[in-house]
Amino acid sequence: MTPYIKKEVLLQAQGVSLCYGEKCILRDVHFSIRDIVRPGIRQGQVVSLVGRSGMGKTQLFRLVSGLQKPTAGTITLRERKPAEVGGGVIEVWRERPVQAGDMGVIFQNYYQFGWRTVKQSLLLAARRNPALAGKEEEAIREYANRFDIADVLQRYPGQLSGGQQQRVSIIQQLLKGSNFLLLDEPFSGLDICVLEKVTELLLQVSLSDELKTLIIVSHDIATAVAISDTVFILGRDAAGEGSTLVREIDLIERGLAWRSDLREDKVFLDTLKEIKDCL
Amino acid sequence: MITAQVLFALLIWQLSPGGLIPGPLRVVEALGNLLSGRLLYDSLLTSLILTFKALAYSLVLTLLFSYLSVLPFFRPAAEFIVKCRYLTLTGLIFIFTLLTRDGGALKLSLLVFGIVPFFTTSFLAVILRTPAQELELCQTLGYGRWETLYEVIVIGKADQVFEVVRQNFAIAWMMITMVEGLNMSEGGIGTLLIKYNKYNDLPHVLALQALIFGLGLCFDYGLGQLRRWFFAYTKI
Repeated sequence: MTPYIKKEVLLQAQGVSLCYGEKCILRDVHFSIRDIVRPGIRQGQVVSLVGRSGMGKTQLFRLVSGLQKPTAGTITLRERKPAEVGGGVIEVWRERPVQAGDMGVIFQNYYQFGWRTVKQSLLLAARRNPALAGKEEEAIREYANRFDIADVLQRYPGQLSGGQQQRVSIIQQLLKGSNFLLLDEPFSGLDICVLEKVTELLLQVSLSDELKTLIIVSHDIATAVAISDTVFILGRDAAGEGSTLVREIDLIERGLAWRSDLREDKVFLDTLKEIKDCL
Repeated sequence: MITAQVLFALLIWQLSPGGLIPGPLRVVEALGNLLSGRLLYDSLLTSLILTFKALAYSLVLTLLFSYLSVLPFFRPAAEFIVKCRYLTLTGLIFIFTLLTRDGGALKLSLLVFGIVPFFTTSFLAVILRTPAQELELCQTLGYGRWETLYEVIVIGKADQVFEVVRQNFAIAWMMITMVEGLNMSEGGIGTLLIKYNKYNDLPHVLALQALIFGLGLCFDYGLGQLRRWFFAYTKI
């Protein structure tokens, strides 16, 4: 097995619940995502959240993205921040509640401002990133070339194909500079060729930075498991009303992470069955 | 096909027993008469200047109240303006006369007062139809409230301003003939229309109506073209 270590907690949900009046959608959700370190590789994290329709996946997605506040509990993220210690500056880990804007969010329909060209949209995001100050155009060119959208920079979202829209959404959120990328149903409605390209793209993103963390909400279990290192299963149990995380599966331990030849693997197929049984 | 239908309608109009209502040939003759004199052009110019002035003031007021309506403090004021659609101008003429210094200002203020509620109603509807995802995209990009207002409402709805003007221009155009009747010394097509009505000169009245109708259609088309020209993405 590839050597790896799970280090600091990057994102943590503790006792998260979401209720509308008397009706609880999510109950007592706990999970944490740790920084995975592999020697010689800039290995990011890819976590999938799977569950049946109506289990509150999108609601949890919104809570994690900071677009909605939980009724109870907290979702905190930990980030490295420079701090002055003894006359020098070192990076320390700081913890704070998630707010809207902390996460890069890619909605299911890859929504973009219809009145902005691709380049203008990407510039809006790049200008939010202090690390890119003065180098925004350069960064856009680099991403556009890498993700093969250089020829559509002057187009409007309405003139793009679904795949191009998805890439623009991903680049926009990457340019913003967030380490976390949340994707709502990124495999939905894609044909097999595009699906392969998208999974390749996401893996490419996850390898772009040590702290880059992809959280994928999907009901396409096979694809989600194929590119993830951890799977969280959202479901119901006998303890009360609303959905909660009923299972966490560490795919690294099972030798299923970071591999491209999984689809026929027996452990992979058994894991899929195990997940389906939990739903 | 439309041309054929129009020609057919004109033919029926011409062949039907008219009585007091003049046939299309007499209307065309009156139109030629109007077009050959200077009075029509002077009147049109007067009316157009007044209309554009009123549109400009109305647009500024509409945008001001509509943009501010996203703040809870200004929301009731915007909603009150929307309800002002049900106020008739006739009952307010005396108050406006007291508040304005001359006939020109009276006409302008009455027009603005009449137009703003319709513009505001339409533009508020545009703002209220803003998809939640536009606002959420701003949030995910880390925008503050004012930045979101600027991006989504001011920039994002700029093309809709043209559409609102286009759709409500008819109100302004309809009211111009009414308010011009209040102060006839400055002329205008409204004054001209009242004059011809007074002498029961129906061919000229109908010729003027046709002109007003045609101009309205031209504005409708022109504003639509301007929107597409200024905001290329509306063509997609």
